[in-house]
Amino acid sequence: MLRIDHPRTAHPGIAARAADTDTTGHIPAQNWKELADAGYGALFHSDEDGGSGADSDAQVAAMEALARDCPSTYWSATVSSLLCAKLIATYGDSTHRPLLHALISGRRLAAFGVVETAAGSDAGTYQTTVRPASPPGSAGPAGTGFTITGEKSRITNAPNADLAVVLARRERAAGDDGPDWCLAFVDLHQPGVHRYAIPHMGLRGMPWGGLVFTDALVAEADVIPVPLDELSEGMTWGWLLVSVAAIGIAESALAASVAHAGSRVSFGRPLAHMEGVQAQIALSRAEIDAARLLARRAAAERTAGRPARSLIAMLKIYATEMAVGVTERAVQIHGATGVTAGHEVERLYRDAQMNVIGAFASNRLRELVAENLGLGPAVYAPFDWVRSTGLAQDPVGLNGPSLEGT
Amino acid sequence: MAIPIITAPTDAATRLAGPLVPLDLGGGGLSAAETCELLEAFGEGSRDPGLGLAAVAHAVLATVPMRAFGTPDQRRHYLPRMASGEWTGAVSLLQTQGASLAPTVNAQRAEKNWILDGTVDLVAGAPAAHHFLVIAADPDGERTAFLVDRDTPGLQVEPTGSGAMPSCLWGRLTVDSCRLGDDAVLGTPRAAAREVEPLLAALDWVFTCAPWIGVMRALLGDAVADARDRHRFGRPLAHSQSVRLDLADMAVQCELAAGMLHRAAAEFDVGTRSGARPSYEHAATTRLFTAAAVRSVTAAAAHLHSADGLAERAHRDAAFFAATGGGGEVLRAVVAASVLELG
Repeated sequence: MLRIDHPRTAHPGIAARAADTDTTGHIPAQNWKELADAGYGALFHSDEDGGSGADSDAQVAAMEALARDCPSTYWSATVSSLLCAKLIATYGDSTHRPLLHALISGRRLAAFGVVETAAGSDAGTYQTTVRPASPPGSAGPAGTGFTITGEKSRITNAPNADLAVVLARRERAAGDDGPDWCLAFVDLHQPGVHRYAIPHMGLRGMPWGGLVFTDALVAEADVIPVPLDELSEGMTWGWLLVSVAAIGIAESALAASVAHAGSRVSFGRPLAHMEGVQAQIALSRAEIDAARLLARRAAAERTAGRPARSLIAMLKIYATEMAVGVTERAVQIHGATGVTAGHEVERLYRDAQMNVIGAFASNRLRELVAENLGLGPAVYAPFDWVRSTGLAQDPVGLNGPSLEGT
Repeated sequence: MAIPIITAPTDAATRLAGPLVPLDLGGGGLSAAETCELLEAFGEGSRDPGLGLAAVAHAVLATVPMRAFGTPDQRRHYLPRMASGEWTGAVSLLQTQGASLAPTVNAQRAEKNWILDGTVDLVAGAPAAHHFLVIAADPDGERTAFLVDRDTPGLQVEPTGSGAMPSCLWGRLTVDSCRLGDDAVLGTPRAAAREVEPLLAALDWVFTCAPWIGVMRALLGDAVADARDRHRFGRPLAHSQSVRLDLADMAVQCELAAGMLHRAAAEFDVGTRSGARPSYEHAATTRLFTAAAVRSVTAAAAHLHSADGLAERAHRDAAFFAATGGGGEVLRAVVAASVLELG
């Protein structure tokens, strides 16, 4: 029988420390060393960019393998070495090569600052702004770069990253008709940066929190004007990494379910002989396969440089919600052990939910898919169309209005 | 002929009648993956799940076992005429799930012949068929695959309705003391359980999904057009978030099911080159997943009113599709057997 191997443990040490990583909320230094030794971050980048140029199937397999070993470590490492590094490789220039290499090799860690406290996916609400450090006519010397001010919140790696790739508004000088938005590569080790951690439901080992910039300095070369539309194509690396996290989490939950079903004896036979358990396992197997096949296809498109926004959006919608379903089944198959703190499936159940939300929630992406089906952009209007139809009013009783008021 | 689109003597139709028949036998010589694409397009263009199934029954279920297990004589006798559309073959969808259902046709050895008795229902394409692929059981339960020509004495075909997919043309086959020679045996005698039956099951699970991918795409296209044309509460349906989210999910299900189908189909091609066997687990997960996708897409499209009534037909036929190929009862058990290494 032809079988495509589902990725198994690639980093046994990281897998063995996953429960502790979750409990302590801290990724051990040894994890970073093992990832660097394995060349994990290099897989995603071409030889010219200092990577090892793995093909897209190999990239997805390596991502899923790490996601299976420890979802928290996977998120933290992949946000930095894939998503942030891709953005720097795409929008940066030769002056950013040392930075790129530092992220790829794991010597430095990056965060991607998009979401603010006011809203998640709606860029219109974002306030963080980059402006010239010494505007023309002001007292200071001109041409010394930019400052950034604002708050980015619920950001992976915010508490401990060395660098943030930040989406910000541009304060434009008169005559500058460039884009309203920019990416700023902000050094986080400076006085204008305050950061905080936020406790979270799943992926507890993953550092997560906020970044507050108060006139933090950004070099001129590190502010890159980018049209918002174009940037969303870059963000698809993030959707892809979250989708693969979901697939790895689901596969781990299924593997735990299979192991448990084979060993746990109930009513005189292993659970695996119960048709109800079999049905749950069969459904999980089919759904995970469907998601992984779409992930490979989407990654191949994206890696080849073709637009894959709609496909990756479809993938993220399905894969992340699928993993919630699979981990829920896994908890049910495990019974009381599955809801016991410290058990693998209890952790995976919490982790799975994070993927649905992170990097654009499902319904935001469904809107994007709908737009690409030809339905036009999402239309947001005040909700005022029901009362005028007469449907939102209490009807009279069986005897009509005659008794009203008596 | 009763299935004009399959049998019309045009080049395109020849390809639809015999895509998997090798070129040297007059067929299209397509790969399994290409055949799936052809069947997807046929489902989308014909907007008829029943016609799609009829094409699969003839061009895949009746053809591939003969290509795989037929003797050179059998292949030369049947396949060129099947590829041209002159002859169509028929198979019962109750005989594509191995021995999960009790056999309904018995085979007795009588000197150098075989005597077949019994009845098999739900034969796809029976009223128009030139010959039938029939699995029959010995008195000791061992099963053999037979090629039974329509003009065999003792064979009767009774057209039946199935309640769904009427354009497939259904029938009940009765064999009453049908006498067959050894040249009617397909594969090794008494070895259908390890030869023809696993192949028939995987072919059913995989290839009957292909026209449905096309039907789902047609429904999605209809739904998008409907959302742009119609109004509710004084605004286009396309502005309604719940409509938009439902349509997005329909599109997602189409892509996912197509991905499953393409993997499973491609494994038949790898097997053709390398001798590796396609995965029964992948075939079964494909059907399990696609049946669920088809149910959800047809449910989401049930409100549509096209002139040809596709939504209503697809809704009815989807229930039938989900119940055949063994239905969830068989498919879940088969997938679980693989994943749990039990069964």
